[in-house]
Amino acid sequence: MTTPALELQHVAKVFRKDRDIVRAVDDVTLVVEKGEFITFLGPSGCGKTTTLRMIAGFELPTEGRILIGGRDMTNIPANKRGIGFVFQNYALFPHMSVFHNVAYGLKSRGEDPGRIREKVGNALELVGLAQAVHRYPNQLSGGEQQRVALARVLALEPSLLLMDEPLSNLDAKLRLHMRTEIRRLQKRLGITCIYVTHDQAEALTMADRIMVMQKGKVEQIGTPQEIYNHPRTLFVADFIGQANAIRLRTSGYADGKAWAKVPGGWQLAARTSGGTILEKGTEAALVIRPERIRLEADAQAAGTLAATVAAATFVGSHVEYELDLGEGNTLKATVPYDPNARLHQEGARVGVRIDQESALFIPIEAKQG
Amino acid sequence: MTAASASRIRRPSLALRDPALFFALVTLWLSLGLFIILPFLRLLQATFIKDGALTLANLVKVWGKAYNRRAFSGSIILATGVSLAGTLLAYLFALAVTRTHWPRWVRWLLSSITILPLISPPFTSSISLTLALGPNGMLLKALGLGELNFYGFWGTWLSETLTYFPVAFMVLAAILSAMDPNLDDAAFSLGASRRRMFWTVTVPLSMPGIANSLLLLFGSSLADFATPLILGGHKFPVLPTQAYLQITGMYDLRGGATLSVLLLLPALLVYGIQRWMIGRKSYVTVTGKSGARSNFATLPRGLEIAMVIVCGLVALFIAYLYFIILWGSAVRVWGVDNSFTMEHYAYVFTHGRKAITDTLKIGITSTVLGSLLAVVLGYLFQRFRFAGRKTMEFVSMLNYALPGTVVGIAYIIAFNEKPLLLTGTITILVAAYIFRYYATGIRSVMASLQQIDPSLEEASMSLGAGRVRTFMEVTVPLIIPAVLAGMRYLFIHSMTAISATIFLVSVRWTLLTTRILESMTELQFSQASAFSIVLIILVFIADIVMGWALRRSSLRFGTTQETSYDNTGA
Repeated sequence: MTTPALELQHVAKVFRKDRDIVRAVDDVTLVVEKGEFITFLGPSGCGKTTTLRMIAGFELPTEGRILIGGRDMTNIPANKRGIGFVFQNYALFPHMSVFHNVAYGLKSRGEDPGRIREKVGNALELVGLAQAVHRYPNQLSGGEQQRVALARVLALEPSLLLMDEPLSNLDAKLRLHMRTEIRRLQKRLGITCIYVTHDQAEALTMADRIMVMQKGKVEQIGTPQEIYNHPRTLFVADFIGQANAIRLRTSGYADGKAWAKVPGGWQLAARTSGGTILEKGTEAALVIRPERIRLEADAQAAGTLAATVAAATFVGSHVEYELDLGEGNTLKATVPYDPNARLHQEGARVGVRIDQESALFIPIEAKQG
Repeated sequence: MTAASASRIRRPSLALRDPALFFALVTLWLSLGLFIILPFLRLLQATFIKDGALTLANLVKVWGKAYNRRAFSGSIILATGVSLAGTLLAYLFALAVTRTHWPRWVRWLLSSITILPLISPPFTSSISLTLALGPNGMLLKALGLGELNFYGFWGTWLSETLTYFPVAFMVLAAILSAMDPNLDDAAFSLGASRRRMFWTVTVPLSMPGIANSLLLLFGSSLADFATPLILGGHKFPVLPTQAYLQITGMYDLRGGATLSVLLLLPALLVYGIQRWMIGRKSYVTVTGKSGARSNFATLPRGLEIAMVIVCGLVALFIAYLYFIILWGSAVRVWGVDNSFTMEHYAYVFTHGRKAITDTLKIGITSTVLGSLLAVVLGYLFQRFRFAGRKTMEFVSMLNYALPGTVVGIAYIIAFNEKPLLLTGTITILVAAYIFRYYATGIRSVMASLQQIDPSLEEASMSLGAGRVRTFMEVTVPLIIPAVLAGMRYLFIHSMTAISATIFLVSVRWTLLTTRILESMTELQFSQASAFSIVLIILVFIADIVMGWALRRSSLRFGTTQETSYDNTGA
């Protein structure tokens, strides 16, 4: 078995703010294999950037250990870690040309001028900016600055590449382009990469594995599909994609499935998150993805729940419905748009068909964390 | 790193974790201790401790003399007068420059003329006022006023007002031009007259600037030593001159120290209020919406007429004073034999040569060392969190807040005996200038660092550069404009300031300013004028060179650096 590229062992960062003690990062444990692309995903203030900055060595953890390539780096200063860091605002040196920005790290290492020129050229070639070598950062567009920032760290062939929301300052179209670009480079160079973002689409499309964080704690670590299909907590279910959550009490459990009486009267059976055994009468949320719901014009159709359409919004490729199940329960449904069929009008009674394979019970306690 | 978190886990001590920072802090505390804390404590010791016991005897003795009480009230009255008149004058100038539709060259001339007193040695206006209004005064004769004894309160007040109002002008011009002209439009559209708009919008919004300039001028006048020494005379004593005479005339170090402590109280009070005001948020905001910027409304007619008269006369008068000093330097005996001669300049460049080279040596050394220190301190205060940071910041600025006379007296007390026998050496002169005038440098470095995202330094670190290399190659190039602004201030003041160093000069090191003072006391007005002109030209050239370098370096990344000229405690 090879040494992991990065190991976080019970890492925590505690700030003292006035009289309160704030655990900005709390007990984060993670093992990253060589060549993996990991994203840290979470809302702002969840501790993802602080975790990244501790890996980089810009901040020291209050508790725990950080191992890079098997070496304990917990107290090693940033300049001795051999890590590449790409900043949200690029942090290009405004007083240096593109060449000198990219050459900066190589010079720190004391490489000879010929090698430096060659490596700078290669790095800029890699990001497609070889022609901009003599320009200054303020003469470059945002996307170009981003590429230079990338070239600057890639020139050093770091063992680990850390990126802090690197695309958030770019416009939407360029962002999409850079996503694939970064992923392509990462795969080609086989470099281990940790990428911080609050954009779930970015995380889902780029990552091998996602670490979802909230309030300093790890909510779940898994592949994009795992995270999407098997959220461990209500927070993850809600943060990644959209989710309907109906609060109810389970009425039975067997073989990884629980069932409960849903509004409308009948029993619905679904997996439990992580296959947890749910005692009868456990308070749980039944999580259903809006896109796993189909509507039928016949409210009485077999195997459907009767509901009233509260709102219908046409958004092009699909239609978003808000459905009223009665007893204060509502559902969101995302249905592919069919130009040949009529939209269900507001106030219409419809039959709601739920894909039971994808529905999931998450016990309510799990969301406290 | 908070204290709590540091104690939670065993972390290597600062000395091991960051030896460079540790070493820097130790060195800095040692030098601040030697040149700021020690003299200050020795001053308090000389005042409050006698025969090893705490006592108020010195204070009681000094206060017991009616003449000293007059000096105290004289200082306060003078400072109040200068502060009021200077602020009013500065406000009129600032309005004229920022709010009128007068021709551009007129406004340029007005703001240029205010720079002259800022870069001149503190004696300049005293000398030229003497030449104009003193015995044999040119203006007196021209106006046929005969004998008018202007020595005393009025002469000092007039001279200090003219010398210090430009400081207030800079503060007020900045605040007046930062206001949002849309407010004027709003007031107009609500039916206000020009006069009502001025009193209900412009003036209230200028209040923070007015308050600040009142305090600045009060402090400057309180600390001013040169002007009352020449123009105050025996009838009008003030604390700085009184303390000086106590020491140089009566060899009473303790008495001088006690008088300077009396001066310290109002000075620290003013400094404290100023810091407190800066801490509060001012309600003048500068919005970045330059697109929709309309013009400021015209001022009330009566006010504009008053401004034309006052600004015109004052500007003319300042120009006249500089002209008269130039003229005075080139006549045989002022008021007696007005024939042209270059003999005074010949004197300056022969007998005064040593003073010129000494002043330049000391000025350049102070500027170089002082700005290095300012960069290091500003960087530490802005970028690092370490125990005692706030205290260190306060201590490093202490000499700046104290009147020069107080610092000078503290220095002779502290450095007059072995093993710290430094009086008369270049070390002590340079130290006095550095620790007093590097404050502007520290502040502008801090302000400039605040504009620079720390991620630039982090980027450098993560690219493998150490702390020192990061500092030299990333931080320093980016704060060059701030460093230059600090150097400019340091140089001007190390060339011209006298209040602290008058106590520290010796035969070995003479300064141009002390030569001016000697010439004045020997009534060699023409010689004093020639020395002044040479000094003004030296400073002016240096100022132009540094101003040019500053503009060049700011242009490079499109940032502008505010230049601070404030003259406090010269």
